Amino acid sequence: MIKFENVTKIYPGMSSPAVDNLSFTVPSGEICILVGPSGCGKTTAMKMVNRLIDATEGAIFVLDEQGDMSNVLEMDPIQLRRSIGYIIQQIGLFPHRTILENIGTVPQLLDWDEARIRNRAKELVTMMNMPIDFLERYPHELSGGQRQRIGVARGMAADPLVMLMDEPFGAIDPINRNILQNEFLRLQQEIKKTILFVTHDIDEAIKMGDKICILNTGGLLEQFDSPANILAHPANEFVEDFVGADRALKRLNLVRVEEVMNAHPPLLQATQDVEQAVGFMVEQGIRFAYVVDADRMLKGYVRRRDLKGKTGWVNEFLEPAAITILIGTSLKDALSEMLVVDYANVCVVDGKNRVRGLIDTNMIHEAVIQSTAASEAEEA
Amino acid sequence: MATDLAQRQNKFWREMLNGWMSILTKPSQDTFRAQKAQSDPLKTVLGMFILGLVLGLRALAVKPAALVTGRGTEVILVDLLRMIFFTEVGFFILSLLLFIIAKGFRGIGSFLQQSYLLSLITVPLGMIVVAFLFVGEKLGLTLIAVFNPLSPAGVLGVFVILFALYGFLLLLFAMQAAHEMPASAVIYTLGALFLAWGILRIASMFIVGEENIITTEWVFIAEQWVKGTAQELLLGHLWLVAFSVSIAIVLGVTMGIFITWPSRRPKLSHLFILIPLVLFLLLWAASSGLLGEGMADQIMSAAKDWSRSLKRIDNLYFGPLLIIVAALIAKPAAVGMIMAVFTIILYALFLTGEVASDFTLYIAGIILTIPSVALFGAMIKPLGIGPFNAAFALILYAQLPILRNTYIGIKAVTPEIVEAGRGMGMTEGQLLLKVKLPMAVPVIMAGVRVSIVMLIGIASIAAYIGNDTLGRYIFEGIYRAQEKRYYAGAILVAALALAADYFLGWLQNRLTPKGLKGRRETA
Repeated sequence: MIKFENVTKIYPGMSSPAVDNLSFTVPSGEICILVGPSGCGKTTAMKMVNRLIDATEGAIFVLDEQGDMSNVLEMDPIQLRRSIGYIIQQIGLFPHRTILENIGTVPQLLDWDEARIRNRAKELVTMMNMPIDFLERYPHELSGGQRQRIGVARGMAADPLVMLMDEPFGAIDPINRNILQNEFLRLQQEIKKTILFVTHDIDEAIKMGDKICILNTGGLLEQFDSPANILAHPANEFVEDFVGADRALKRLNLVRVEEVMNAHPPLLQATQDVEQAVGFMVEQGIRFAYVVDADRMLKGYVRRRDLKGKTGWVNEFLEPAAITILIGTSLKDALSEMLVVDYANVCVVDGKNRVRGLIDTNMIHEAVIQSTAASEAEEA
Repeated sequence: MATDLAQRQNKFWREMLNGWMSILTKPSQDTFRAQKAQSDPLKTVLGMFILGLVLGLRALAVKPAALVTGRGTEVILVDLLRMIFFTEVGFFILSLLLFIIAKGFRGIGSFLQQSYLLSLITVPLGMIVVAFLFVGEKLGLTLIAVFNPLSPAGVLGVFVILFALYGFLLLLFAMQAAHEMPASAVIYTLGALFLAWGILRIASMFIVGEENIITTEWVFIAEQWVKGTAQELLLGHLWLVAFSVSIAIVLGVTMGIFITWPSRRPKLSHLFILIPLVLFLLLWAASSGLLGEGMADQIMSAAKDWSRSLKRIDNLYFGPLLIIVAALIAKPAAVGMIMAVFTIILYALFLTGEVASDFTLYIAGIILTIPSVALFGAMIKPLGIGPFNAAFALILYAQLPILRNTYIGIKAVTPEIVEAGRGMGMTEGQLLLKVKLPMAVPVIMAGVRVSIVMLIGIASIAAYIGNDTLGRYIFEGIYRAQEKRYYAGAILVAALALAADYFLGWLQNRLTPKGLKGRRETA
């Protein structure tokens, strides 16, 4: 847990504060994103936690290993920093040290013995899906994405309860950034760290955050809430502008297809009789239907008008499905795929191409309206 | 039939002339490549024949005595034929040598093609040279006059040089076209030939016993070596530099580190600095007589005894070092004062830190501008002549490169990296030792390298104030007007500097952390 209590930072010689009376709490095991335009003091706020910058007023509490909340301003900064994971952009790796030495930085400062450091490094590198022989390499021998993974591993080396991440994926190309973000989210589900994460990218904030803290120039807290609530109910005009005019679309990012799809769709069996199939479609009131085999594996689809008056098996009239949506896809991605075809509904499949449900644009629309209503009800 | 032959002959001569003209008017690799297709050994041989003939005629024209002394036409003909023969043979031998070397550098051309392309340069340029020599001789111009920039004929020298460059360029193009190899390989090929020629030429000097600057120099250095003087001076030179540089590195790197950090307040614990300071001041006060003449006499006589006994130790290799140490011991007052002053300077920089960086670098820069002879002279009064004076000056001179490179090297460490280290809980000391200094090593070593090479030069001037360095040859040479002596000094100092630079380059590479080598700056 990280708790900011009326924290203010005024740099010497400046009249206006960089961070102004900031109060919020990051619950244990959650990711809180500090986001805002440049000059909003988000990095300053983060650096006050490990005292790279000292707060002028107020107090910051961090949950320590004994389970007590202790004020960082009363702690020895060196010990404090060693107990907090610190992850910055990949250029922060030490170029003259091997990956092993880089990962082992904090453990070495904590006087772990060599074997223990090596074991921990091996464990972390494996966790990051990288081969163990990377440990003997130097940062310049790795790609940007690999270096950033090492940066994350280095921050986690001493298994801190709290981690600070300063635009960790900022300098990486969009494709790799997406991969790294997903990997990190998966990892976070296992490790459950309390994380304060700084970014200027609202999309990243919505994607990564359990809570988002939007700061305005001068370090003013504009809104502190969950991503869904921020998108549904921006507190003021600033937040509304900051999250962008497409915030309804952004909210689609927060919902996965399996949450809104029809999980019991009308399906045809490949070995079904045509006449029977037409009867089924009339009964369901649908003009076309997806066809699966005995294992619910997607075979294609058939149109009612193609079957009318014909005899034989359904699979003789199959047409291949042009798109399917993988389970776990966000509604935004699903929608953008659906917009390019003229299907009334699209199959949601799992990794083995088994049909798990159907989704159409109406369902997506409804989901947006419902989530707005739900968060309104929550507020009331 | 006859007209056909005549036409073919006509074509042959025209092609030959065209070949010469084209490389003169359109000098490029492509011209040579185009000529490659028309390569014909007969043209090569004929071309050289013509050149040989022209050379022979010129020789006869220069020495008409041969005509006058009543030698017969046959003799003249034999002379001409001999000249032609030597031209042909000489050309082909040279071409063969070039060909063999070029093969060694992965050239792919054929010998005949290469010879043809070379003859395209040699024949027309050779004839032009002969023509100019002939005219020049008739006008009474000498080589010395042509290459003397002060004589009116000197302007011709410029053209001669341009002409030679043009010839060299053509040679490059021809070899490149003949062997399809990169320009660097061509340079190596030609260089190897010149090197071989140089070695043979020098060898011949010694075999024949020619007396010129190279042989006399060699004999002189060899004599000095046998006598042992050269080694003595070489070691004296090296030890003086090594001693000064060791101290300069400690001092310069320390100050360089101090001027990178933020200024700090004096603390009570800093009082320990008083211990060395008081000791040094005591040493100075006691030996300079401030604490009573008797004490000073005692100290001075003890120091002199010690110093003398050190000087008496006869060791070829460590002798010069012992002499330097002895010179320091002999002046305890100066040592105490200098150490005290440096202690104060270091502590001051320790406190001021970055604030004083510009000022410090400025001062170090000013020190470097003081002429070394003047500094040696100015220090004669307090430090006397000899190694103490020299070492003091050398230490001061070495400061700027070491100090500046330490400062730059540390400052150049990316702020993100420093921030990462600090954010992970490194103390400032750990940051310095584990991050900043290792990353600055290549830059610091570059500064040390510059310092050492510079000091090797300045140390020769230290011979002026009675140090046994290689500079002694230079000064003796000047006083006695012995060319070979100051050349010997210059050659040995240059060789020493080159060797030191090479060794330090190797050392620099060894000391650079592995991860910093081959690092590309990637975002």
